[in-house]
Amino acid sequence: MAKTVLITDDTAFMRMTLKNVIEKNGYQVVGEASDGEEAVALYKELKPDLVTMDITMPKMDGISAIKEIMKIDPQAKIIVCSAMGQKPMVIEALSAGAKDFLVKPFDAERVVESLRKIGS
Amino acid sequence: MRNMKLDFLKELANIGTGHATTALSQMLSGRLFQLVVPDAQMLPFTEAADYMGGLEQVVVGIFVVISGDVKGYMACLHPLESALVLIRLLTGEDKAEIDDMGRSALQEMGNIMVTSFLNALAKMTDLLMVPSVPGLAVDMAGAVWESILAGAEVTSKVTVIRTRFSTEGESIEGHIIFLPDDEDFNRIARKVGLGDL
Repeated sequence: MAKTVLITDDTAFMRMTLKNVIEKNGYQVVGEASDGEEAVALYKELKPDLVTMDITMPKMDGISAIKEIMKIDPQAKIIVCSAMGQKPMVIEALSAGAKDFLVKPFDAERVVESLRKIGS
Repeated sequence: MRNMKLDFLKELANIGTGHATTALSQMLSGRLFQLVVPDAQMLPFTEAADYMGGLEQVVVGIFVVISGDVKGYMACLHPLESALVLIRLLTGEDKAEIDDMGRSALQEMGNIMVTSFLNALAKMTDLLMVPSVPGLAVDMAGAVWESILAGAEVTSKVTVIRTRFSTEGESIEGHIIFLPDDEDFNRIARKVGLGDL
């Protein structure tokens, strides 16, 4: 069965771009969240195998959402996809529980490589 | 001292804008962007809008508030025609006006450019610069510029870094504007060993 993915990004364009890449490579996108709050709610509901997480978002940012999701499920597999590649932010995301950090703009291969690595 | 400050600003603009256009190029399948040598000025609030030129021209402005070790404001401005070209290149759809997906694509592109600029500066200075969720406005340049300055709570002189970029075969023009808080700007200068400017 295909691995399930929850996409989190505040822009519809980036959600569409990620969805195309993810589905083309044999994964199933089961949900799309446009902020951290939605991501946490959808994680509870859908229990996806993998989550992509943006950092800079309205309502609840990605770092807080990672922390919330890790509380619900310490085994959660979260991959950060953010333009914000500054070292302190990368460290914060990884220590909050994220398994990988992709800096936008990313190429499709890098996304797939991360999904394979983290999802296995 | 003033020249020294402007020189330093230009160098910052060069590095930051170089990274921002590299990011844009990556988003657009490696298309080459030409950078015109960036220009930096310190201007009274009232003259800043004129400096951007073409106040009556309709532009798309994408702007973020910067927080962290360095506070300030950043924006990308594109003439409407360039914005429509960018939307076509990003989404593959040729539209006469900006629809929801076009807005979203521009917002994401602006966010990636601005953040790449800040990432480069952060790396150089070891200072954290966190961008907010980007806002987007489509209006006459004068109005967009005024709202950027108002958001930045600028009261007297502003430091503006202006860069133009274009690409062959497509007419894309844009400006990247960086408005650091004056005190924080000096902190950047001290970090790279220039002392207060």
